[in-house]
Amino acid sequence: MSEDLEPQEDLERRLRSALGAVDPGEGFAPRVMARIAAEPVPPPRAARAGAVVSWLAFGLAASGVLAVLLAHEWQVRRLEQGREARRQLIEALKVTDEKLNLAYRVVNTREGAAPPEHSGA
Amino acid sequence: MSGDGECPRGDLLTQALAGERAAFAALVRRHQRVVYSLALRMLADRHAAEDLAQEVFLQLYRHLSAVSSEAHLAFWLRKVTMHRAIDRLRRTPRYESATLEEAAEAASETAQADPLLERRLRGLVAELPPAARAVVLLRYQEDLDPVEIARTLKMPLNTVKSHLKRSLAQLRERLPKTADALT
Repeated sequence: MSEDLEPQEDLERRLRSALGAVDPGEGFAPRVMARIAAEPVPPPRAARAGAVVSWLAFGLAASGVLAVLLAHEWQVRRLEQGREARRQLIEALKVTDEKLNLAYRVVNTREGAAPPEHSGA
Repeated sequence: MSGDGECPRGDLLTQALAGERAAFAALVRRHQRVVYSLALRMLADRHAAEDLAQEVFLQLYRHLSAVSSEAHLAFWLRKVTMHRAIDRLRRTPRYESATLEEAAEAASETAQADPLLERRLRGLVAELPPAARAVVLLRYQEDLDPVEIARTLKMPLNTVKSHLKRSLAQLRERLPKTADALT
């Protein structure tokens, strides 16, 4: 190659020639298979499907348990709220009853103590 | 390729998917040249290339169900090899700054004509920055067009074209000096 300016096509041709494939040798595939056998790599489809199914089952079971717990919690809270409302209502009725009784007694006492209207005229 | 063993070509992927290890080994033999060559030209180190190529096939074994066809498999292998190689180069700058003698020495089986020039050309390619090197290898080693390279490297098409243009200019600029030195 003596020319200073390498034409584009020639450079590309030389690149293709220089960058040809290199084989890693006959032992490469057995080495890969040995690594696969040595490492805990799951078989392609069956193991993946099994793992997906077991994760799905676990997820569903966990969701079910969570739903039951939440429903129970919600019910307990509603019962407690009902009890509290009932207690407050009874308390309010008691207070009202006492006030009415007091008012009734005051009215009765005043009526008993007041002089007749025509006595001083 | 002759090393596919007893499995018919069209059935290998299906059989490997069904868990047949012999079929998977045949797939490895069929694609090992492409994966190893790309890894070798990227990393310029035979041991690192062997290790990376093995990792790519291990990853393939784990994700085989995601591969839909032979064409998809070839695309997937190139993509994973290049991305892993670029990641490794970024993590280990040693590969980038190496003398790259080994890259130059790694002659292809079809090399002929001017072995000294081709040796130097391989060395110059190995000195390109990782992304540019990946583009040049996919273009001239794998014979992919720029659109396919952009898909493989997840790179904008214009970036691929500019890498190609700049890399060729750089190689052309440095090659005559080398040729003088070689004669």
